[in-house]
Amino acid sequence: MLFTSDYSIKMPIGEALLRSALGITTVISILAVIALLILLVSKIIRGIEAKAAGQKAAKAEAAPAAAAPAGIPMPAGMNQGELELVNTDEKTAAVIMAIVSDKSGIPLNRLSFRSIKLMEDKK
Amino acid sequence: MEMIKDVLIGLWESSGFYALFADGTFLWQNLVMILVSFVLLYFAIAKKCEPLLLVPIAFGILLANLPGAGLMDDPTGIMDTSNLVEGAHWYDSGVLRLIYAGVKSSIFPCLIFLGIGCMTDFGPLLSNPVSLLLGAAAQLGIYVAFVVAILVGFDPKEAASIAIIGGADGPTAIFLAGKLAGHLLGPIAVAAYSYMALIPFIQPPIMKLLTTEKERKVEMKQLRKVSKVEKIIFPVVVLVICAFILPDVAPLLGFLMLGNLFKECGVVDRLSDTAQNALMNIVTIMLGLTVGATTNGQTFLEVKTLLIVALGLFAFAFSTVGGLLLGKLLYLITGGKVNPLIGAAGVSAVPMAARVAQNEGRKYNPANFLLMHAMGPNVAGVIGSAVAAGFLLAMFGN
Repeated sequence: MLFTSDYSIKMPIGEALLRSALGITTVISILAVIALLILLVSKIIRGIEAKAAGQKAAKAEAAPAAAAPAGIPMPAGMNQGELELVNTDEKTAAVIMAIVSDKSGIPLNRLSFRSIKLMEDKK
Repeated sequence: MEMIKDVLIGLWESSGFYALFADGTFLWQNLVMILVSFVLLYFAIAKKCEPLLLVPIAFGILLANLPGAGLMDDPTGIMDTSNLVEGAHWYDSGVLRLIYAGVKSSIFPCLIFLGIGCMTDFGPLLSNPVSLLLGAAAQLGIYVAFVVAILVGFDPKEAASIAIIGGADGPTAIFLAGKLAGHLLGPIAVAAYSYMALIPFIQPPIMKLLTTEKERKVEMKQLRKVSKVEKIIFPVVVLVICAFILPDVAPLLGFLMLGNLFKECGVVDRLSDTAQNALMNIVTIMLGLTVGATTNGQTFLEVKTLLIVALGLFAFAFSTVGGLLLGKLLYLITGGKVNPLIGAAGVSAVPMAARVAQNEGRKYNPANFLLMHAMGPNVAGVIGSAVAAGFLLAMFGN
């Protein structure tokens, strides 16, 4: 049956307060320990990864330039063409082209951009 | 003629209308609960309020309160020995009573945690581990509500079960209430899920009250990228630490972290997909239906239910306060680099509480994107409420 509590086991309010304080302290302590461990583990992992990346970079430097990936060749009969930039600097244009290539999944050398124009804010 | 009369009398006596007046007492409470189920169904279907949970819960309420249907009958005393029937077998129990064994045995809450683990990205927490402290502080309401519940007159086990509503985590509330105060499971589960759905209404006034406009406008710097190795190690490390300190927390955290490992390790995509979709849906149906079925009119419609609902709201509000206060402290310590609003997301209702922090932040600074920053305390809250439940179980479980 519902609500058949045994009210003979009442807890004094002082004890309830003490257990509550102990409870929140326990939760904070355990989560603080986890936070510290995360910091430690991430530091170790980042250190290992940085070391591995450094070794990789050194290997790549030592390898001949011809070993660099060539990418997908441009189809025959096509040229790179000209790109018109209107109120857009080259850096921004490069970022836009990289984003379009990334989102569409088409390599940059298979995309043809005619113009990149900064639109006026109509607000 | 006599036979027709007997058949008709038999039909009448086996009907729900007859059962409504069984033993000379009018079971008006069942009718009220049936009406409540209609209202909840209306909110779930027409207003789309947490329909995935509310439809099964409301239907469970309807099924359990149909007079004479006996869907929660327990003649063999599987869980309730007050209505034993001699010679009855386990399969004579009501079908919902049998399914309810999944709640009582903690199978359903654990499986729900498995699915949650598969859906949770601990990346924001790993890139900002201080989030864990916010998730811990947002469990304050649990312990404040525990003291108040003791003051009101509940026994320690009941008080602990009611207080866990402040963790804003449905499966954890069901897990703990099922272990400590099964007789209160219905109102506790209903209150917990209701408040989780009402977060967008409960939290903003408290956020506004406890923070200044300057604090709410704080923009936080972008989080660092977390490596795959860190994400794989995290669930294993957290489980080992927590389970060694508080073994009672192992069922919930174990399943949560197993689910997360499924997601992050990248070699068991099929298991991850099943756990977060098919399995999660199946368990949600079972859990919702049987939690609703625990709300039998005769026992649910009591003053104590209202007390539980009120204490749940109190716990929830104080958990929000705890997170916000630590958020304010971090704002001071870091010289204004932490937006205190993300502290409110430390209550573990994922991702609703993080969304509320994001929306409130943008109200005062449209350029503010707090969502990822708030997700850290939000997922930390899931761990925090599970640890809080483990502590209460260790205190009052025996």
